[in-house]
Amino acid sequence: MAKHEANPPRLDAVTLRVLWTRLISIVNEASAALVRTSFSTLVRETYDFSVILTDENGQGIVQPPASIPAFIGTLPATVRHFLAEFPVSELVPGDVLITNDPWMGTGHLADVSVAKPIFLDGKVVGFAASVAHAPDMGGRTGSTESRDVFEEGFQIPVMKLCNAGTPDATFIKVLRRNVRAPDEVEGDLWAQVSALELIENRLIALMRHYHMTSLRDVAGEIHDRSERAMRNAIRDMPDGTYDYEFATDGLDDPVKIRIAITVKGDELEVDFAGTSPQVDKALNSAFCYTYAYTMFGLKCVLSPEIPNNEGAFRPIRMRAPEGSVLNHRFPTSGCSRSMLGHYLPFAVFGALSRAVPNRIIAGSGSPIWSVLMRGVNERGAQFANKLFYNGGTGASHRRDGMNATSWPSNISLTPTEVVEQLVPVRVVHKKLRPNSGGEGQYRGGHGQDILLQSKIDTPIFMVFLAERTKHAAPGIAGGQAGDCGALVIDGVPADPKKQHVLKPGGTVLMRTPGGGGFGDPKGRAAHLRASDAKYA
Amino acid sequence: MADAGQLKCDEAVTKAAKGKANFSVGLDIGGTFTDIVFYDQVSGRHLNRKVLTTHEDPSLGVIEGVRQVIDSEGVDPASVDRVIHATTLFTNALIERKGAETGLVTTEGFRDLLEIARERKYEIYDVFIEMPSPIVPRNLVAEVPGRIGPRGEEERPLDLPALVAGTEQLVKQGVTSVAVVFLHSYVNPSHERAAVAEIQRRFPSLSISASCEVAPEIREYERASTTVINAYVKPLAQNYLDRLAAQLAATKILAPLFMMLSNGGLTHVAEAKRVPVQLLESGPAAGALAGAFFGRGSKVDHVLAFDMGGTTAKLSVVDDGEPVVAYRFEAAREKRFAEGSGLPVIISVIELIEIGAGGGSIASVDELGLLKVGPRSAGSQPGPAAYGRGGQLPTVTDADFILGYLDPGFFAGGTMKIDLDAAKKAFEPICKATGMSLPEAAWGVHDVVNENMASAARVHVAERGKDPRDYALLPTGGAGPVHAYSVAAKLGLKRVICPPAAGVASSLGLLMAPARVDRAATFLTLLDETDWPALEGVFRKIEADARDVIAGTGLDPKGARIDRLADMRYAGQGFELVVFLPEGPYSAKSRDGIAAAFEAAYRATFGRTPRSGSIEIVNIRACVRVAASAKNVVLKGFGSGDGGLKGRRPVWFPETKGYTETAVYDRYRLPSGVEHDGPAVIEERESTLVIGPGATFRVEATGNLAIDVFQA
Repeated sequence: MAKHEANPPRLDAVTLRVLWTRLISIVNEASAALVRTSFSTLVRETYDFSVILTDENGQGIVQPPASIPAFIGTLPATVRHFLAEFPVSELVPGDVLITNDPWMGTGHLADVSVAKPIFLDGKVVGFAASVAHAPDMGGRTGSTESRDVFEEGFQIPVMKLCNAGTPDATFIKVLRRNVRAPDEVEGDLWAQVSALELIENRLIALMRHYHMTSLRDVAGEIHDRSERAMRNAIRDMPDGTYDYEFATDGLDDPVKIRIAITVKGDELEVDFAGTSPQVDKALNSAFCYTYAYTMFGLKCVLSPEIPNNEGAFRPIRMRAPEGSVLNHRFPTSGCSRSMLGHYLPFAVFGALSRAVPNRIIAGSGSPIWSVLMRGVNERGAQFANKLFYNGGTGASHRRDGMNATSWPSNISLTPTEVVEQLVPVRVVHKKLRPNSGGEGQYRGGHGQDILLQSKIDTPIFMVFLAERTKHAAPGIAGGQAGDCGALVIDGVPADPKKQHVLKPGGTVLMRTPGGGGFGDPKGRAAHLRASDAKYA
Repeated sequence: MADAGQLKCDEAVTKAAKGKANFSVGLDIGGTFTDIVFYDQVSGRHLNRKVLTTHEDPSLGVIEGVRQVIDSEGVDPASVDRVIHATTLFTNALIERKGAETGLVTTEGFRDLLEIARERKYEIYDVFIEMPSPIVPRNLVAEVPGRIGPRGEEERPLDLPALVAGTEQLVKQGVTSVAVVFLHSYVNPSHERAAVAEIQRRFPSLSISASCEVAPEIREYERASTTVINAYVKPLAQNYLDRLAAQLAATKILAPLFMMLSNGGLTHVAEAKRVPVQLLESGPAAGALAGAFFGRGSKVDHVLAFDMGGTTAKLSVVDDGEPVVAYRFEAAREKRFAEGSGLPVIISVIELIEIGAGGGSIASVDELGLLKVGPRSAGSQPGPAAYGRGGQLPTVTDADFILGYLDPGFFAGGTMKIDLDAAKKAFEPICKATGMSLPEAAWGVHDVVNENMASAARVHVAERGKDPRDYALLPTGGAGPVHAYSVAAKLGLKRVICPPAAGVASSLGLLMAPARVDRAATFLTLLDETDWPALEGVFRKIEADARDVIAGTGLDPKGARIDRLADMRYAGQGFELVVFLPEGPYSAKSRDGIAAAFEAAYRATFGRTPRSGSIEIVNIRACVRVAASAKNVVLKGFGSGDGGLKGRRPVWFPETKGYTETAVYDRYRLPSGVEHDGPAVIEERESTLVIGPGATFRVEATGNLAIDVFQA
C-alpha cells in the first residue's frame, strides 16, 4: 500500500480523467458497433458480450459499463492465455487470436473470445479483445444434459484466426460445417473482429494526438488509483472471516455452496472450500466464471462506481477447490453454468451481511427461469421459442425488493403479444404472485404467475430452466425467505428438471420464486404495510 | 441557400417599405424561463423577450411576455398571423407526478402489466436502484374479461357489465382520467372501441384514452405505458390549452395557435388536446429544428446540433437538413441520464441525447483523486459562484470566467453583475486537492466537461453506424458557443457553424416547423407473404387520417409530402429498423423495391446484410408534412457592420498553456464576407463564441459564422 502512495502521479488529475473517459468511449463505441453488426439476439438484446482494451501484458484497462457480470475479469485472463501460447515475439500486425476454451474463456463453448495485438511504430502497445455469445456452437445447444465438452459442441483451441491479416480459411470451413447457423456464426465472428479494428484505429489516433509511445503510464495510473480506492473500501470493513452456506436445487441432488470471506486490513480473500464436488452434467462453473460472478458481487458491495479494470481486483484473492462445482476439471461440461454462477453474488452478500449489512440485498428469486417450447403450429410450420421469466429480488436495509426483475443477469421479458404471435399458446395470465416475497422490515420482491394454455391439436415439447423450487431465497438480518418457485402442469406439480409435453388444451403454470426479506417483519413501517394491501 | 436568403431579405425590404408587418410568434415555456419571439416575415425584424416561467399557471407568464412585446414595441396584434407554442409543461407534470388521478382498464389476467414492466434494470452494479413507479398504481387497475387473439380473432366477447362495474370502482376511488388497453388491440380495436363507447355513455365526465388511438403498435407494456401517460396529462392539456387560447384572444391576437410536437412538426390545438403525449418533447424539438435550419443556411448536409444550457446539453443528429426522428423514447427518467430508467413512450420524436453537462455543472475531485464535472448542477439557484447568489461550489461557468472566455463586464449583454473573485475562491479546494494552478484547474473543468460531451456524441453517432467526422457542429443555447470549438476539436470535426442569436436560436426553431402528422399501425407479415391490397388499404387509411388532421390546421393538404415507412427486420430478430419506403400505391410489384429499401437501410446502419433470411414487416407508418410558411427566416441585424473588433483581453488556451491577448469581436458589427484567424472571442447578448488558435472563421451572408477547426 505504502508503495502506491509514494509513487508520484504519472499523469495529472485532468489528463488522466480525459484519457480515461476517452478510452472508455472507445470501448463503448466498439461495443455499439458490435451490437449493431451482430446477428445473435443474445448480443443484441441482453448484452451477452464484452469488448475491452488491455495493456501490453494483458492487464485490462477499460471495459464498457454495460457488459454483463459474466465477463468481469475473464477477457483479460483470456488475453494472457493467448500470450502464454503466442508470446509477443510471435505476433505480427494483422494477427487475430481466437478460442472458445471454457477454462481459458468464460466457462462454456458458446462464448467465442478474440484478441488483436495493437502495434504502434512496430511495437505491441496493447490488445483489443472481445467475447460474444455465438448464435450456435454445435453440440446439444444449451442443454444441461451434456456430460462433457465433446457433447457440448465445437471446440476452438487457442489459435490464430488471422495471420498477418489473412484469415485461416481452413478453420472457417471447419467451423461452418460444425455449427447450425454458419452464416450467422461466421458473420458474428467478423463483427467481433471489426470491433477490434475499431478499437485499434481509435487508440492509435488517440496515442498519436497525445504523443504517447506506450500505454504504461495511463494503465499504471488507472490500475493504481482503482486499486487504492478498492483498498480503502476494504479497509473500511471490519477485519474477520465471514462465512455463509446454502443449497441450490441442483439436478439430481442439491448442490452445496460454501463461501468464506476473510477481510484483513486492505486485502480480502474468498474461499469456496467445502463446496460440492463437480457433477457429471453441464451444471459446473469453471474457475473463470466463478471468479467473474464473485467479483461482480464484491464490486456491488465495495466499488459500484469505479469503472471496471483489473487494478480494482488486485487486493482480492479467490480460491475454489479443484474438482468442485465451482472449479471443475476438463472434460466435464459447464454449458449451463449460469444455474450456479448466478447464485454467487448472493453467496458474497450472505457472507458479508454480518460485516456490512447495509450494502447488500437478501437472496433473490434467481437464476432466471425459462421454457423452451417446440412443436408444429396450426399452419404446419415448426416453432422453437425460448421464453424468459424472472422472480423477485431481495430486499435491502432501505427498501423492498423489486417485483419480477432480472438479477444478477439483466434479461427482458418477451412481451405477451409477441409470445402469442410466435407460439400457439394463450397467455391466460401473467401477474404478480401475491405475498411471495419474504416478509421483513423490508419485504422481498414478489415473483410472478404465468399461466400458458395450448391452442393447438398437436403436442408442445417443453424444456425448463427453473431454480429455487426446493431452496428458497434466504432473508437477511431477521427477514424471511421468499416463496419457492413451482411448476404446475395441468394442475399437477411437476419436476422442472425433466422434459414435459403440453397436451392439446393443456396448461402450464410457472410460479417464479420471491426474493428474501430484510430485517424483522415486526419493524415494518405502517405506510409500507398499507401499501402491501395493494398486493394481497 | 445563402443567396436565396439574401434575395428574400431584399424582397422583404421592398415589402417593408410598403409598410405592413406580418408577425409569426414563438412561445417556448422552459423550466426557468419562458422565451417569446416575434419575427416579422416582411422586414426580418425579431423581437425577443425572456420572462420567468409562472409555474402555477404558465399561461400567465406567456401572456405577460406577449403583452410586453406588443406594448413596448408597438406591435399591432392584428399583424400576427400565427402563433406556435412549445412547452415542457407536460413533461414536468409527468416528472413531478402532478397529472390527473388516472386509472387503467385492461384485459383480465394482466393488471400487473405496468408494475412488471420489462423485468430489466437500468444499472447492474447498484443494488439500491429505484425503478420508476407506475403512473397507475395496482389498486387503480380494473380487469375486464374478453379476449382478442393474435390474428385479430375474438376468442372471448368483452364483458360489458364487468367493464362498467370495474370503471365504477375506479371512479369511486377518485379517478378522473382512464386509459383503456386490451391485448392485441393493434390488430383488432373493436373491444377497445366498444369499451370507450360504453364508458363515455355511463361516465360522461371521465377523460378517456384508448391505446388503439394513442399508440396502435404491438408490445403491450410500451403501448400501455404510452396510453397511461396520455391519460395522465390529458385533463391538464385540455384546461391549459383552452385557457391559453382564450387569453391570447384577449390580447387581440386572433391568429391560429399551433402546438409544436415532439417530432418537430406542428399541429392544431384540438389534436394536441386529443393526444397530448405527442407534446412531451416539444421544447427540445425546437432546438434541433433550429440546428437543421441554420445548417442548411451554410449548405452543410450533416450537422450535430449541440444545445448547451445551464443544466444539460442536448445533441441531435441532422442528416440532409432533417433532424433524425425516432419512434420511441423514455420520459421522466428516474436516474436522470440513465438509459432504461424512464417510462417508455412510443411516439415519433426528434432523437436526441441529453447529457448532465451545463454551465451550472459542479466540479469536484472524486474518490480516485480525479477531477469530475457534473452531473450535479447548481442550476439557476444558487447558480455558479460568479453569479453572487450564494453559490459556493465551482461550476463550468465559473471556469469559463476564469479562463477569460466570458467577460465579467458583459455577461448577458452586461445586464448581470459577475463576482469573479467568488469564482476564483470556489476553485481553491480543487487547486489544493490536485496541486494545480487556478487556470490549470479551470481549464481542467472546461476540458473534462467537453470530453464528457464529446464521448457521448461519439457513441451516439456510432450507434447509428455513422462517423462523427462527417459532421459540422452547430451550437445553440447560452453555453453552446463557449464550448463548441473544443468539443469539435475532440471529435475531429472540421467545422463549427455558429448561427446568429445562438443563445435564443432554439425558440426561432418554432417558426420554421412544418405541420406534421405521424400515424402508425401494426401490420405483421413476411414480406413474401404480404397481402398487398390489405397493406395498401391500411396505408391509405392512416394517410387519410393524417391528412384530416393537417386539414384541421387550416393549411392546404394538397401540397403535402407523404412518406411511407415501415418497421422491418429479418425474421427471428427481436428489434426492427424503421425504413423509408418507395412511394405507393403498392401491389405485388412493389415487393422488390421495398426489399431493396430495407436492405439498403440495413447496410447503412449495420454495415452488411446476412446472406440469407426472410424480411418481415412489423409496423407501418405514414408521415404527412406540409410547409407551414413559405417564407425563409432571415434575421435582421447581422452581417452589415463596420469591422466589429471591440478590444482585446487575455484568454487562456491549452495550445499556449497560458493567457494570450485575444481579439474580442462584437457579433452584430462583423460584416459578412470577412475572414479572421483564431484565437478570437465573439460576443453577442445571449452567448459568447470562443475560437481557438490556428482556426479561421468567416462571416456568411446568412449571418452564420463558419469556423474551420485547426487539427493538430
